[in-house]
Amino acid sequence: MTRDETSKYTITLPDGKSLQFVLPMEGKSVITQPSPGLTMKGSGLYEISGVAWSGYGKITKVEVSADSGKSWAQAALQPPVLSKALTRFRMPWRWNGGPGVLQSRATDETGYVQPTREKMIAARGSRTIYHSNAITTWAVSDKGEVKHVYA
Amino acid sequence: MSMRNALLVAASGLAMASAVAFAAESPNFGRVATPEEIAPWDISIGPDGVGLPSGSETPKQGEAVFAAKCVACHGEKGAGKPNDQLVGGQGTLPGDKPPVKTVGSFWPYATTVFDYVRRAMPHNESKSLTNDEVYAVVAYILNLNGITADVDTMDARTLPKVKMPNRDGFVTFSRGN
Repeated sequence: MTRDETSKYTITLPDGKSLQFVLPMEGKSVITQPSPGLTMKGSGLYEISGVAWSGYGKITKVEVSADSGKSWAQAALQPPVLSKALTRFRMPWRWNGGPGVLQSRATDETGYVQPTREKMIAARGSRTIYHSNAITTWAVSDKGEVKHVYA
Repeated sequence: MSMRNALLVAASGLAMASAVAFAAESPNFGRVATPEEIAPWDISIGPDGVGLPSGSETPKQGEAVFAAKCVACHGEKGAGKPNDQLVGGQGTLPGDKPPVKTVGSFWPYATTVFDYVRRAMPHNESKSLTNDEVYAVVAYILNLNGITADVDTMDARTLPKVKMPNRDGFVTFSRGN
């Protein structure tokens, strides 16, 4: 066991035990457009786009929500969709100019579904860093500014 | 076989032979490393201590090595800053606050501390310590953590017998946990 196998490929759980040899990155996705720093200019049609990946295999589905996870719609995946590779997803979005909360949720070919932050913390505590794969949330303000928030 | 075909066969044979010769002489294909070349890289030490070299030192000798080579990054008595804390932190692994992971609180095996220090430390001059110096500084860090006594000498026989506090603190990851 090397230092990095001890310190990096582990997840220390709330009970103090550490999961060891955590080598796969589990299913994860993030919206890259829009995202913090990319300010939206006025209401209208936008393309939500991002990347998804899984250490367990191919991405089979990415869903996008614009209302903080209350409703979801399936995004288009851009070929080639390869195992353990970044997979681009796209979704048209008509922004009404009001506040919105964007999320993406990946599913891989083993059926693994990217967890909410709440679910990930319930299972592993809040101290997972390298392996944190919870759903990421962007809040869009009525001015079009995009910020990272917890939801 | 006609004379013409025989010539063609001979010519293609020559072409293949010259291609093989070219490949063997090409600088881009390398050669098999010699045992002497491999030896300095083949320094992995397993948790059970297999691979530990000869040499032995005490915490007192390690204190001198630490003062010369380690203290600038790891602080007085391994207290940390600017880089990793090496001592203390025991009892900080459970809970929700950031754990203080040190040799004393987190590392499961003393043997792999030797492996890491020999391989990577000091950061600006890795692989510069002698085996005796590595044994010394490992003995010092273990002693600072209260894991071994002031007089405990570390060598290939004693290091694998050191029971680290977090030895049983690891669970093998599998899907779903």
